[in-house]
Amino acid sequence: MSRRNNVRGPTSALTEFLRESGITPTTIARRARTREVPQPVAGPSNSGQDAEEENAEEDGDAEQNNNEGYSSDKLDEDEDEQPAPKKRKLSKAAEAKLKAKEKEKAKGKAKAKGKGKKGDDDDYEDDSDGEDAYTALSKMWKDSAKPPVGSFEDCARCKKKFTVTKYTLAANPPPGFLCHVCAKASGADPFKKPAAPRKRKLPGDKRTVVHFEERRFPSLASICIQLITRHIDDVEALGDIGGLNMDEISKSLARNRSLTQENVQLFYDAVNPKLTLYDATGLTPPAYGTLALLNPGLTHLRLDFCGRMDCTVMEAWSTALPNLKHLELLGPFLVRVPAWLNFIKAHRKLEGFLITQSPRFDLECMKALADNCQNLTELRLKEIGLMSDEFLEQVQRFENLEHLDISYPGKPDALSEPALIDLMAAVCGGLTHLDLSNNLNISDGFLLQGINPYAKNLSTLILSNTPDLTDAGVAEFFDNWGTIIPPKRSKKAAQAADANPPLMELDLSRNHELSSKALEALLKHSGQTLTQLSINGWRTVSQDALKLVAKRCEELTRLDIGWCREVDDWIVQDLMEKCEKMRDLKRNVAIQGIAVM
Amino acid sequence: MANNQSSSTASSEEWVRILSNDGFSYLVKRKVATASGTLKNMLSTESNFAEAASNTCPMSERGIIVEKLCEYLTFKTLYEKVPPKEDIPDFMERLAPEIALELLMAADYYDGVWFLHTSRPDQVDRRSWI
Repeated sequence: MSRRNNVRGPTSALTEFLRESGITPTTIARRARTREVPQPVAGPSNSGQDAEEENAEEDGDAEQNNNEGYSSDKLDEDEDEQPAPKKRKLSKAAEAKLKAKEKEKAKGKAKAKGKGKKGDDDDYEDDSDGEDAYTALSKMWKDSAKPPVGSFEDCARCKKKFTVTKYTLAANPPPGFLCHVCAKASGADPFKKPAAPRKRKLPGDKRTVVHFEERRFPSLASICIQLITRHIDDVEALGDIGGLNMDEISKSLARNRSLTQENVQLFYDAVNPKLTLYDATGLTPPAYGTLALLNPGLTHLRLDFCGRMDCTVMEAWSTALPNLKHLELLGPFLVRVPAWLNFIKAHRKLEGFLITQSPRFDLECMKALADNCQNLTELRLKEIGLMSDEFLEQVQRFENLEHLDISYPGKPDALSEPALIDLMAAVCGGLTHLDLSNNLNISDGFLLQGINPYAKNLSTLILSNTPDLTDAGVAEFFDNWGTIIPPKRSKKAAQAADANPPLMELDLSRNHELSSKALEALLKHSGQTLTQLSINGWRTVSQDALKLVAKRCEELTRLDIGWCREVDDWIVQDLMEKCEKMRDLKRNVAIQGIAVM
Repeated sequence: MANNQSSSTASSEEWVRILSNDGFSYLVKRKVATASGTLKNMLSTESNFAEAASNTCPMSERGIIVEKLCEYLTFKTLYEKVPPKEDIPDFMERLAPEIALELLMAADYYDGVWFLHTSRPDQVDRRSWI
């Protein structure tokens, strides 16, 4: 605030105090500037002195100012200073008059006044500069070091003399200023408009939280679900529509993601042997307890997305669900070891134990399962974080396994090939379903030494993403299936000398090395009976081999030929004409053959 | 009720017939019927479905269900595009809980958004010489 004529109006007590103690805008600016420049290490006493000296200097200035400031002759001359006191008076008057109404406003003003020149950032909408809000200098004083417009200055970079203008920029790093050419060359835009003045938020606005509400038109299904939920206690009102339809309703509730602990009761029944919830996200741990208590007769239970199930649920189930034989869970990751152990020990009659995604199911749980549940025929341990070779030793102890899924272990290479071959030697004879997807250690050797000699009843084989398999190896496997005599050490395999029947389902997707030879061999072996086939990602498989699919596989209902580069309209047309049972054909998006469908 | 049979010019104002499996039939405007993705595909003039040729959609649902479905579709075409400020009446008041479960299954099938893979112009030529 340069006061050229040194006339001052009435000031506040604070301003008066500051002036008396020698704190003026100039001193503040100078102090801030000295702080920006790194201080020499040795100088605490010195710098203190400096500051004192400066203060003394400023004191002198201030005194001078004071002396001049109160010269009453010039009081009337000042035009600039008039508005400030006027405003103040006005605000005071307003405060007095409209106390109740303007309270907030006045408060805001008072606050602003109090915080004054330091520019507290709470009051501003944006805080773009990275300076400390408390020690930063008010914007007003930033350029005070800049020489007046029109004077000459030597450029800090090219040392040429230039005229200071409104657009002159300070050099970076600090000392000096840049001429126009250097300023442009340094990348800064001299004509850049100063950032728009920061808007002070209205105190009222500060408190209002901005929120958006997206309104969607309600679908008829969601309206129906709301209606059902509302009338859930009144079973008669909803009527009885039979078991098959209940499954449909369970599915549509899941599709709408609106199964809650209120409307789930629709599916509860004391004599109900089977319960499937396709999306149990809405159920809380107490709701799972209620589920067990209201469905004491359950033998088959499947819960998808049961992520909120925790230890308390498993503990509660340990004393409930006495007839449970088949448990299928997707995502019980909160259940810890002790809870698993209790549950397993309490349910020795389990025949199916299928869990997907658990980082906590460990070797101890696996041992407990093998010790207690000898009748297990179905075992799924998919996406188990702690999966290791030791698990497989326990799996070998199940004698009646028919369905085995150890896919997607936590570490893709956790299971070694020899351990898997040993496992096959022990259990593969009885298996009808085998899924070992994403076990990266599986190679041709596993097919030839593990599955080939031991598999006798296999109808479903899923080996997705086992990239070590080779075209020749897989072809050899299918060509020679059943001809390799198992080593003597396996009694069971030696007994059953007959060959494995052709497969019904085969998934060898995402095995990029596989190609025409493998496809021809597998079609020769199983083509007649295959209902589902996935060769997704067999990029080099030839058109001739692909044509065989339509020729050989009359029973196909599902086929995935995505990312097979050679597939074209003609192949797809052939498939649609010859495979009359086809219901689901997945192919690369680029294929336009969908026209024939 | 001008039942315009010239299906080649499918205007949104013409009437289409929806049949229930117990012999009731309902006439609704085409634009109302096409608010349902499934019916839209059935009636699409680009498809060769019998429904499109005859402008008649048989549904395997009881009369009361079909009626409510048509009612909802009318409600949807009427209110779907209204500005957010305007009040939309509560459709739930028009539904009886007795039919809620059955209607839910029908709604799941008919009120979904199903996309028929429509052919692009460059594909049309290709299809003609297949």
